[in-house]
Amino acid sequence: MKKYFITFLLLFTTWAILSGQATDPLVNNCITSAGPNSKYLKDFRVQLGKASKPGELRYKTQMSLWKNTKYRFTMCNSDDSKGILYLSIKDNTNKVILSSYNQETGKTYSYVDFICNKSGIYQISFDFVDGQQGSGVGVVSMIK
Amino acid sequence: MRGRFFIFLLATVIVFNSCRNTSNSSGEFIFPEADSVPVGEAQKLSAEAIADISKNISSPVEIANLLQFLEVPFSPEYLASSIDANKQNTAFDKALALGILGADLGYLNMYEKTGTSIDILSSIRKLAEGLRVGQFFDFETIKRLSLNKSNLDSLLFLSIDSYTQIDTYLRDDNRGQLSSLMIIGVWIEGQYLATQVVKRYPDQMLKDRIGEQKIILNDLILLAIPYCNRDSEYGDLCRYLQKVKEKYRDIRITYTLGEPISVEKDGGLVIEQTETSVVEMTDEQLTEVIDVTKEIRDKLISNN
Repeated sequence: MKKYFITFLLLFTTWAILSGQATDPLVNNCITSAGPNSKYLKDFRVQLGKASKPGELRYKTQMSLWKNTKYRFTMCNSDDSKGILYLSIKDNTNKVILSSYNQETGKTYSYVDFICNKSGIYQISFDFVDGQQGSGVGVVSMIK
Repeated sequence: MRGRFFIFLLATVIVFNSCRNTSNSSGEFIFPEADSVPVGEAQKLSAEAIADISKNISSPVEIANLLQFLEVPFSPEYLASSIDANKQNTAFDKALALGILGADLGYLNMYEKTGTSIDILSSIRKLAEGLRVGQFFDFETIKRLSLNKSNLDSLLFLSIDSYTQIDTYLRDDNRGQLSSLMIIGVWIEGQYLATQVVKRYPDQMLKDRIGEQKIILNDLILLAIPYCNRDSEYGDLCRYLQKVKEKYRDIRITYTLGEPISVEKDGGLVIEQTETSVVEMTDEQLTEVIDVTKEIRDKLISNN
């Protein structure tokens, strides 16, 4: 009897945890990996084939970012992704503000904290390193 | 033929650029000179451009986050409690109310005021079902997460994601006018919240956030312009938005230059922007923005 009760308890707990989460496990895990002090704002699901030639980042979107806010951009890759997702942000003058990929060292950062001091509409771009085929998500959160 | 194509290309580039917010070379944000984009041109904006614009509108969650940061206590007075989902007869009313209540839900979620949020959730469900988009609103899960208070991130995700899905579906379903109304409703309520709070808590950061709305105001108007001549409800809304824009006309936003500073920390990258935006807004201008926001928001929820 005790064995059944424990099994039931385990199943119930698992259900309770899973049912309270986002439907896409990749998005959910990525939101969680942004950390306990972060508050979810937005996510961008990125799925790209292999680029025919390297160049501009292929997934482009826009977002308003506000002064006196600290944003965290967290990049997560699905298990079967061949490439590593990275992000670049440009302001309204087309100036690159940040990139989570350092082309000189080849290093990618899984998250970038951006302390915004200039309110405006920013261009957010994603791609996979070396134009690889890939699947991932970029989550934007606010942090303290 | 080539000449015509070139002229067409040039005209397209000029029209598209004139539709977007710009900052001039002296580093000041200005409204585009083409003060009101002709209806015909606005209608030609691509679905992609409209989708981008809708993403630019600030989230009410960010306003609520700022209020929490400023240690402003929660107040139910700011909520649009008078909205009765059963009395929203037209699709216009339903979509606008859906946006307004969505902003209230964001405010409630951030302050974890779950008791009140259940009432608002019920209204949101009714409105969403009335617009045939109820399938995107996971009412039961959101309600459970609200009551549990256990996972704010999942609650925020599900609430925001539901609205994003509704927005996308409405556009794909050729009901872009309802999507625009929803987004305008979200913005107006967020703006109402900020402007009401600033009267009691006149913090400079909050004043700046209100002034900075000038940056996205033109985009918001662009969402409405294609429908201004549809009927009197849309016509009135367009006039209201133009009235808000008028109050923002002399509020200045200037920029100071600087290079971002980057530091590696705990395996991540921290970038601090040294470039800044500065809002120049007098107390009189702020009062006018507060008043016009209240006037319009009250009109929009007055059919209850």
